Amino acid sequence: MATTNATISVSSDIMSYPISINKTMTMKKFQSCHGLEETSGLRTKKFSVVTETVVVEQDEFTASKACKVYMRNTSSDKAHYFFVAKHATDAAADTDAGASGIIIGKLYGGDWMLIPYLADVNITVASSSTDPVVLEYMVFAE
Amino acid sequence: MATTTATVSISSSDLQPGNALSLNASSTLMQTGLTTGLELMEMGKGKLTEASAADALHEPLGTANTANWVYICNNATDDTHYMSIGIHEEIIGNLGAGDWMWMPWNMVADGEINIEAEPTGATIPYEYAIFKSTYTLPAKT
Repeated sequence: MATTNATISVSSDIMSYPISINKTMTMKKFQSCHGLEETSGLRTKKFSVVTETVVVEQDEFTASKACKVYMRNTSSDKAHYFFVAKHATDAAADTDAGASGIIIGKLYGGDWMLIPYLADVNITVASSSTDPVVLEYMVFAE
Repeated sequence: MATTTATVSISSSDLQPGNALSLNASSTLMQTGLTTGLELMEMGKGKLTEASAADALHEPLGTANTANWVYICNNATDDTHYMSIGIHEEIIGNLGAGDWMWMPWNMVADGEINIEAEPTGATIPYEYAIFKSTYTLPAKT
């Protein structure tokens, strides 16, 4: 059994008092006390087109378990963002994807995310720019 | 201008044998215009019961296609108790006991954040925080 820990720290002065979120989780199998044992490995991919691209294929993993997906837009330019979508076939775009998928959100330059993943459809990204932008991503699975 | 910084550290000495994992990332959250920090947020905690089925944690009452962030933590201590997290009709994934998530949110129309407790009989304490570019309060009734 592997032990994988993830810690988030969020600090903010939005309020008139300091906001601080600090939480550590150990990634575990679905409804289990045992740690996740598989990973896609850390992947990096350079995008120079705005065409949508599947980066996480659902059939690599068992659906409806406890997968997690980490992604980071490595660009130092905030203006270069990626659409991130959970899509079966639709294009990632600036609209609701409809019945076969959903736009999750945008990862601007330097932004990261760590989300649970049902592994029932693919995860698709589309760069906002034809300038080269590198996406870093990793899937943690059972 | 407010400054909100989100940092993550992921580590494992044995997930990839012979190749210790250590990922670290940090970002400053900006509004969609990219020059101003996010200035709207709400946070809270609650208890979610399986009997209530899926509930909307937050409605998309801001401007669509903007920069927004969602933090949710499942504070259950029973390993079998998990939260199903979704956007509108699409389930994003299962958030197990003790798990947290950090997700961008496009806030498109009909793109509410949904949460649901599972399995049957579960009551799950949870915490959340949502950082937003824009937000319109619902009209009074």
